[in-house]
Formats: sequence, C-alpha cells, structure tokens
Amino acid sequence: MPIRNLFVLLGVLVLVSSQAAALEVVATSPSMGALVREVAGSRADLTVLAGPNRDLHTLQAKPTMMRALRAADLVVAIGAELEVGWLPVAIAGAANPKILPGTEGYFEAAAQVPLLDAGGAADRAMGDVHPVGNPHVDMDPVRMATVARALAERLAILDPAAAGEYRRGADAFAAQVDARMRGWRAQIAGAPGVVLYHRDAVYLLDRLAIPLLGTIEPIPGVPPTGRHIRALGAELAGRDGVVIFAPYQSPQAPQSLASSLGWQAVALPLAPPQDADGDGYLAHIGRWVDTLAGAAASGR
Amino acid sequence: MRKFLSRSALAGASLVPMAAFAAGDAEIAELKTMLDDMKAQYEQRIQALEKRLADAERDAARRKAQAAESKPMTAPVVHSGPGPADEHGHAHAATDNGFNFREAEIAFSATVDPYFDAALYLAVDGDGNTELEEGYFQTRGLPYGLKLKGGKFLSDFGYINKQHPHQWDFVDQNLPYLNLLGDHGLQDTGVQVTWLPQTPLYTLFGVEVLQGDQEIFGATLGDDEQAELGLDDTDDGPRLWTLFAKMSPDLGEKHALQFGVSYAHNTQHQALFTQEFERAGDEHAHDEDQGHDENHDDDHDHDHDHHEGHDHEHAVLENGLEGDADLWGVDLVYKYDAGGTHGKGNFKFQAEYLRSITDTRIRSANILDEETGEILKIDSSLIGSKREFTTDGLYAQAIYGFAPRWTAGIRYDLLGLTNELGGVESEDFGSSDRWTLGLTWNLSEFSLLRAQYAHSDILVSAHERERFDAFYLQFLMSLGTHGAHSF
Repeated sequence: MPIRNLFVLLGVLVLVSSQAAALEVVATSPSMGALVREVAGSRADLTVLAGPNRDLHTLQAKPTMMRALRAADLVVAIGAELEVGWLPVAIAGAANPKILPGTEGYFEAAAQVPLLDAGGAADRAMGDVHPVGNPHVDMDPVRMATVARALAERLAILDPAAAGEYRRGADAFAAQVDARMRGWRAQIAGAPGVVLYHRDAVYLLDRLAIPLLGTIEPIPGVPPTGRHIRALGAELAGRDGVVIFAPYQSPQAPQSLASSLGWQAVALPLAPPQDADGDGYLAHIGRWVDTLAGAAASGR
Repeated sequence: MRKFLSRSALAGASLVPMAAFAAGDAEIAELKTMLDDMKAQYEQRIQALEKRLADAERDAARRKAQAAESKPMTAPVVHSGPGPADEHGHAHAATDNGFNFREAEIAFSATVDPYFDAALYLAVDGDGNTELEEGYFQTRGLPYGLKLKGGKFLSDFGYINKQHPHQWDFVDQNLPYLNLLGDHGLQDTGVQVTWLPQTPLYTLFGVEVLQGDQEIFGATLGDDEQAELGLDDTDDGPRLWTLFAKMSPDLGEKHALQFGVSYAHNTQHQALFTQEFERAGDEHAHDEDQGHDENHDDDHDHDHDHHEGHDHEHAVLENGLEGDADLWGVDLVYKYDAGGTHGKGNFKFQAEYLRSITDTRIRSANILDEETGEILKIDSSLIGSKREFTTDGLYAQAIYGFAPRWTAGIRYDLLGLTNELGGVESEDFGSSDRWTLGLTWNLSEFSLLRAQYAHSDILVSAHERERFDAFYLQFLMSLGTHGAHSF
C-alpha cells in the first residue's frame, strides 16, 4: 500500500509540474536564459543552471541540475565545449531522451554562428583550448540576435502552436540589438583597448573593433606569472586602456597590472543577472561598453 | 628475543618471594611450600609465555608465507596503506616505501548509436599487467527516467564506490571500503536499473543484479577447498544484488547536498576458519588460541613448514563456513561552491557508514595434523552452529580550497565500531582507526601534486595492534579530452 501511495503522489507531482507552462526550458547561463525569456516569454517555464558569477568552464554537475533536466523539453546551452565539464554528465544523469545532443531538445548557441579563434592546435601545452573555436559567443549582441532567431525556429518545432509568437519575440530582440548597436558604436569610437583576464569577451571586442591589448593569463586556464605581468606592463607602458576581469577570476594580477600602468581594473560579470530578460542582457552589454569607452575618458 | 623474555620473567619470579622472607622457623615449611607452588606457577607461566611467543612467531612466518598466495582478510584483520602486495593483480592500496607506479588508467567512452552509450576503463599497473576496471553500456533513450546499464562496472552502492582512484581526494581508499569491499570496491558484472522520477527533489532509485565474484563481501573459496570442506560450489550466479536511493534537496547555487542509502546482499559467502591447538590434551583448547579466518581464492595445502622445534605436537581445527552476507551503507556529501578563483573557498564534506554482516554456519570441522595435513578427526559437535561476523566502519573527510589551486584535506576513518563474532562463541575484536591530512596542488585541470600524511592505529590480528605513520607524495595527471566534473 505505501508503494502504491507513493506512485499516486509521484503521478500528481508529474501532472502539477507539467501544467505550469507549454515548455520546460533549461538554460545553462543567464545570457541564454535572457534569450529564452525574450523569445518565449511566459510560454517557457525556465530554469537557469548557473548564475552570472560562475565560471562555466569549471562548474560541477549537481544532482539538482539533473532534476531540472529530467523534466526539460529543451536545453539551451552556449556550446562549443564551454560546458563540456558538466553538462554532458548532467544530461546523462537526467535520464531524459528528449534533450540528448543531436535531438530537437538540445540547442547550442555556438552552433548557430561563426566562431572566432577556431582551428587552433588541439595541444594542451597551449592551455585549456577549444579547437572548435572560442565558445563565448554570448558576449556579441549581434550574434545573439542570430541565435535568438534560431532559437525561435527550434521552439516553433517543439511548440508549433506558438511559432508566430516565438518568431516575433526574436525579431523584436534583433531590432533592439540593431538600435543599441548604433549608439554603442558611436560611444566606443576611439576606445584605446582592453586587457582581459581570459579571451572571454573577444566577440564583443571584435564586433565593436576594440583592440585586445593582451590577456592576464599567458595561455587559457593557466594562472599568470609575475614575469608575464611585468612583460605585459612593459609592453603597454605609456598607452591607454582598461583591465577587465570576471568576478571569479583572481583580482591581484589585474590590479597590479592596472596600477603599474595607471589604468583602472574593473570586475565585470560575463553574463547578466540570473533573472534578466532581453533588456537585462542589453543592459549588461551596455555596462561593458561603458567600461570600454570609459577607458578613453579616464586615461591620460 | 625469546630468551630475553624468559630471563625477565625469571627475574620477576625470584624477586617476589624475597620480599616475603621475614618470618620465624615455624612458618618456614609453609613458606617453602608456597615458594615451591610459586615456582611451579611461574614455570607454567613462563612456559605459557614461551608458547605464545612461539605461536606468534609461527603465525607471523605463516602470514608472510601466505601473503603471496592468499588474502588474509577477516573480521579482525585490517588492511591499510602499505599492506601486503596482492599477487593476483594490481592492488590500489599496495605500496612500498619509495617510488610506486600505481596505475595508468585508460578510459574510453562514447555514444555507440542512438540507443547506447558505452565506456571502457583499463588499468595498467607498473609491471604492465592490464585489468578491466569497467566495461559497460548504458541506455540513452528509455522513457520515464529509466536507465539500464550492463557489463562490468563499479556499483552505485554508497558514494565513493563508483569513483576511480584518480578521482579520490586522498591517495588511498578509506578503511571501511578497503576492508569491507576490497581494493576494487563493489565492482562486478551484471545489470543495473536506475529510476529518476520527476519529483520536486532529486531522487534516484536503483537496483543492481551482479554475479557476486567478490574479494571480501561474499567471498568464496576455490574448488578444491570447497570439496574438502563440504561447501557448496560457486558455479551459479547471479549471487549479489543491491538497492540504493539518493536524494538531493535544492539549496541554491552555492550549495549541493546529497544523501544516500544503500543495501547489498550476497547469497553466498564462504570462509575458512582455522584454529591451532596442542594435541597433548587433545581437543581441550579450541578457544585458547586466536582464530584465523581466511578467504582464499587459490588452492593451498595445509602443510606448514614452520615447526619451531618445540616439543608439542600441534593440530589445526579447520572450519568451513557457508552462508550469506549483507551490507548496509549510508552516505552524505555536501559541497560549497564559493565561486572563487580556481576553487578558492570551495568546501566539500563527505561521510559514509558501512555495516557488513556475514551470517554463516559451520559446514565442516576437520581436525588436521599440522605437519601432514591429514584429517585426524571430525568434530561433528560444531557442525551446523552459527558464526556471524559483524563489522562496521565509517569515514568522514573534508576538503577546503584555502588558496587558488590549493586544497587541504582531513580525513578520519574507523573500522570496527562493531567488530564481533556472534554465534556459539561471542567475541569482540576491537577497532582500527586512522587520521589523514592531505595537501593538493592542482597545477591545472589536468595535473596535480598531492602530499599526504597518515597516522594509523591498526588492529592486525585479534590481540595485536600496529601504530604507524605513512607519508605519501602523489603525482596525478590526465591526458586527452576534458574530464567530467561529476558530482
């Protein structure tokens, strides 16, 4: 009898959770979550697995992630091996055939757009490299507009009844990106450049034609040495710029380089807040643009 | 050594009577008698001491001789760090002083087709011997949160059982797992079904049916011994099954907590229990000497050439035990993700409790001549009586990232909170414990350097303890694709 009661209880729980929205969507990062909110609105019941202050390279698969993925109709990942350490494990543990890579329920942003830094040697002596290309596509709003359209098409396959709604959402987002890009291009004109900790914002720099002056890490995934920071300082002496690092990256080396150059070292997350929608995402890119542009104003 | 002990016992004997030497003539006769009595008593005690010493020496010699041919694993005997080398194959725990190449593990995993994933893990030891650690398939597409796994795999019993040595936070395995499940843990061939229901909390239920070829939990003897001792053969399986459940509440982004409960049952457990005694008074003294319960995989005759030249004839009582074995496990893992640089501020706590009960009955009780191994007599009064061994153990460990890429760890492991033989005779053997400190430097995601210090207080046999310190330096690296950060 207790076993039968358990099954009844589970059945009720399954019903309750499946009535909440048309689609259960799990996004790996707040950027992807923002895109889902923008495109699908209330038709998606969204879970975002990692907050803006998490390093998606080093995250661990947790049982609660598997729980979220167990019920999912769609997983929206950044892809290009960024989540390779934990998402495949979490998906395998979720026992949900709907979201396996290669199925309609698995969506990767990086698969929808051309990648930078692709085709490098698959050599670990070069650090934690991704030969398929730099995965941080979510830092480029124009690529994200393309991703939004692809996401709308995917949602339309999974939930044909609301296909029009999804496409309108993606179009509206793309229009907003266009509008903001004009302002940002004007704002950023003449920005001297930036030193990043990791090559994680190169898509934004590439889009706005801002020079990357160097990285705090000598090679990806390997912490900086004092010698590397001194060499970087010597190379950039007398120039203007700003050092930007993520909240989970060590502040010491960025701050020491910035102070030796008379620059500012700024901690900026690589993703918007966890509950952000399309506007929240664009506000996040806006903060990056302000910081990059501010380098010119505050420089000597 | 033996002579020295005898002399000190004699010195004690001559001191005691001198202190009492202060009485008149009338009492001299009485005192003389007392003195004679005492002398006689002391002689007996010295003889007893000599005998214990001789026995201990013989036991030690035999243990040494048997280390190569069998695995002396019983309720009271404990494996820890630098244990005896296991000649059957590679042993995760066996290390010598100096340099050790523990193993190179070669892992392949891939999606076979839309229906299956498969994985293969090979361990190559320092001599080039290769052993299949795991080789299994797992379904991809079953509905209702079901998964089926088949092949040779590490059971999902408990928490640390399914981790390979390179995933451990310490150089060596904890005492409860090492002694209750063996070097490879619960690793067996069979099938597993898991079910992840769609509940608000993460809950996973699983059941496994396995062949039951185990080193310790449900150990069986070789064919010849089974025949000699009248035990059942081991031709049929599956003999081992497990049940487990895991639960994980959602505590937000920074916290992860998982509870687990596991149970395993092996329908066949065999053991050889030998006791030595003097043949002089024949069978008066089964329980005077300590028992040695041995699980052998190999055939081995009972012809020991370790007669130390004393006058007593020794005989061996050899009991063949047959029954089943149960194992309970409770585990808890808590992880704190501080979101710092290269693991700074991260914390992990992990604890498990295991309890093993082997419920056996005596199937045979042969009294053998120690020299020739001939059966002199069968003690049928013992046959059918119960021998139940209960041993439990726990470990608790914590790892803290005190700086980017650096972690410090502490572990306490204990075996034998309960460590007893129940049945006709009842005996509690005592416990073993160990404190371990570790320091790990993660050079990158792909290589690490680890230093570890352990202080062990180990019960090596029923009345013998060893206290020792061990220091390890370990270098561990992984080559190829990015490994998985599994929970």
